[in-house]
Amino acid sequence: MTAISTAADTGERWNAAARLASVLIASLVVFGLLLVASGANPLSGYSAMWSSITRDSTAFGDVLIRTVPYLLGALAVSVPARAGLFNIGGEGQLLLGAIGAMAMANVLDQGLPRALTLVFMMSAGGALGASWAMIAAALRALAGVNEAISTLLLNYLATLLLGWLVFGRWKDPKSTGFPRTRPLADVESLPALWGRVHIGVLVVVPLAVMIAKALRSTSWGFRLTVLGRNPEAARRSGFHTTGLALSALATGGALAGLGGAIQLAGVESSLRPGIMSGYGFTAVLAAWMVRQSPLKAIASSLLLAAIAIGGNGLKIREGLSAASVNILMAIILLAVLGWGSRPTQSSKGATA
Amino acid sequence: MTDLSVTFDRNPIDRRALEPAASDVLMASDITVRFGDVVANDRVSLRVAAGEIHALLGENGAGKSTLMKVLYGVNAPESGTISIDGVPVTMSSPAVARSHGIGMVFQDLRLVPALTVAENVAVSTPSERYSHRRAIRSVSESAEKFGIAVSPTTVVRNLSLAERQQVEILRVLMSGARVVILDEPTSALAPHEVEALFATIEGIRSRGLSVVLITHKLREARATCDRLSVLRGGKQIVDAATPDTLDDDQLVEAMVGRTVAELAGPPNARQVGLLALRLSSVTIGADRGGAALSDVDLEVGRGELVGVAGVAGSGQRELYEAVLGLRSFTGRIEISDQVVRPNYPRTARAAGAVGVCEDPVADEVVAGLDVLQTFGLGAPLPRRGLSIDWSMAEERVAKLPELRNLNVASLDRGVATLSGGNIQRVFYARALASDAKLLVLAYPSRGLDIVTVRAGLAMVRDRCRQGVGVLMISEDIDELLGVCDRIVVLHHGRLVASVAASESDRQSIGQMMVGAV
Repeated sequence: MTAISTAADTGERWNAAARLASVLIASLVVFGLLLVASGANPLSGYSAMWSSITRDSTAFGDVLIRTVPYLLGALAVSVPARAGLFNIGGEGQLLLGAIGAMAMANVLDQGLPRALTLVFMMSAGGALGASWAMIAAALRALAGVNEAISTLLLNYLATLLLGWLVFGRWKDPKSTGFPRTRPLADVESLPALWGRVHIGVLVVVPLAVMIAKALRSTSWGFRLTVLGRNPEAARRSGFHTTGLALSALATGGALAGLGGAIQLAGVESSLRPGIMSGYGFTAVLAAWMVRQSPLKAIASSLLLAAIAIGGNGLKIREGLSAASVNILMAIILLAVLGWGSRPTQSSKGATA
Repeated sequence: MTDLSVTFDRNPIDRRALEPAASDVLMASDITVRFGDVVANDRVSLRVAAGEIHALLGENGAGKSTLMKVLYGVNAPESGTISIDGVPVTMSSPAVARSHGIGMVFQDLRLVPALTVAENVAVSTPSERYSHRRAIRSVSESAEKFGIAVSPTTVVRNLSLAERQQVEILRVLMSGARVVILDEPTSALAPHEVEALFATIEGIRSRGLSVVLITHKLREARATCDRLSVLRGGKQIVDAATPDTLDDDQLVEAMVGRTVAELAGPPNARQVGLLALRLSSVTIGADRGGAALSDVDLEVGRGELVGVAGVAGSGQRELYEAVLGLRSFTGRIEISDQVVRPNYPRTARAAGAVGVCEDPVADEVVAGLDVLQTFGLGAPLPRRGLSIDWSMAEERVAKLPELRNLNVASLDRGVATLSGGNIQRVFYARALASDAKLLVLAYPSRGLDIVTVRAGLAMVRDRCRQGVGVLMISEDIDELLGVCDRIVVLHHGRLVASVAASESDRQSIGQMMVGAV
């Protein structure tokens, strides 16, 4: 009663899980055929992928730290999706988050203790990501611009903004001609748990749980759901529909922005062109694979991170381009959209 | 509470012997139809004589449509016999039924909008070769013969619903029907259109043909039919009785199975000088440009029940939406002295307006929400910490008397999975249970059985007595006359009249609706 039902019963849920599993296996088979076509042995290809993520704790750590931006990007899709909005702007919002964190680091100039510095940097990243998404929300509210288009186009603007910064004002004079900012100092970097794994990985899973809970049981989540499923009903119920839509996109932007800030402070350390390239789109895939469920996005983000890191194994051992795993992700996306999420007949329900 | 089926079994009213009378064209006896566990028709009979208008009465779900589908060869009965002119036949398909002279006019008319009247008729009465001229000639001849005013060359798209219905009837007659079955033919017609329909029906009878009129409107049945039968819950309650042997109360009891409260009568509770709603020079745009309603002045006092009458499409929906701030308008709308901003439903809501809309399935139902959550949409929800406290909400909602009075589905049912009538109950009950100062009800009785209709109207009246102003849009003039303090009439985008219900009657309201006054 308290949760808004999506699947009719557990039997149907198992059905959906089995369907998803079969879709994943079929995708692996299709990608295997592509490996054959490009002259590689699919079995050794997959074993290369497998070993490159299970080789040692560093390899597995790489999967975990990649999960962070994917998951936050996926949540950035899930929250607006609840309100019926398509946020395709994770890519740009991640970048703005990293830019915000860097800007805050520059402003603070290592003058504060580490914990405070990091909190400020993360907040700045979230705020800038939220602002970036709110441009799309404002365009939608004022001019009726479709948010799928505007968030997508804002990605390119974000890339240009990043380029302008790293080639210009923020260019590190010590980088001997490479367009990049200065590396972050220790007080500006996230502490490591082991190897390259930073404490950000501990933050995101509870965050996903919190988001899921907020969507499921708060009044805000309830209203977003109503808005997403029947905007006219939301309007007639006296909801502040524009404000709700704005809050959904802003929350999404803030989550992605936080993801960018964490990635900068935990992994990248400096801004450069091409940083986090494709992460936002992979995050869209992670969200859509699980029908925008924040909790299930933990699993899908982990899976896609494993594929992305495993792609390095393909590059090193099989001599294939690292981008070839993008094909696998694309196959999975198409397969999931085509078969994985088709509503079953019985879920429509009988009338009484 | 007496069970009338027992009473009627003991004292059968006009239960003739079951052997076919010489004059019975159509006789169906002991028809039983079962859908799974549900017995839709339980040994039901229908006898129709030549030149007879036979009314088949019953509430929604009484089994009327099932019986008609059996006669028309759509459903096969489990047992029972059908005979035409005393000869047993098997209605294995609609084509067979038509060949036996059974014609059916469905509620949802089945004409092709892009074709002319003549072409539509020709489609269903195939001759050896289609000839444009012959089709037109035969349609105009038959139209004249049956007294149906229709031009064969008009494209059906340009006809009103009532005119299309006449075309359907003509088409059925031209295909050789001797028994014309009309399924709820008046449900979407204005009063003057109803009169025209009954004139047509009379014309059919005068040529010795028969009509079966399926309806749940007593007045209609009484005014036109020679004999009537009543079904309830799939069982035969009255079999071919003449109307004068039963009074209205008995008929209602036969249909509903228990005595029904009288219409409550107007609340008579208007608080002088206090307004729940005021419209001053309000003009409301239509969906496709132009004005749907122009220059409307209207006041609803606190405690007053004002009915809105009008032919369908006279601006009722636009009026509803403007008052609730759902669409743009010019002029001034105030609810309890607070101004409603066009296109800002929250301003109407904050001023205390709550509505029951015309099409809740499209505009109000949210898929995936249960009945409790749907109630929660309309009011502030209790919280525990940051979360909505649904169990507290359930406690509060479950206590509402409106749930019981309107027989609302249980709170954990998905609202989108309910039938139209049950969805209506949810939103009607929600509005009645709200803390509204102004209720705007668009066709609140639609799709409800008569017991619920009366219970709902009684509650509306109670709310008036508590000082709530009510604006009620209805297509049923009798309903408006029965419960309203005052009735305003919409015609052609204008508010043409405002009369005290006690000083008005069906006739005069009907004339104002068509602009005849």
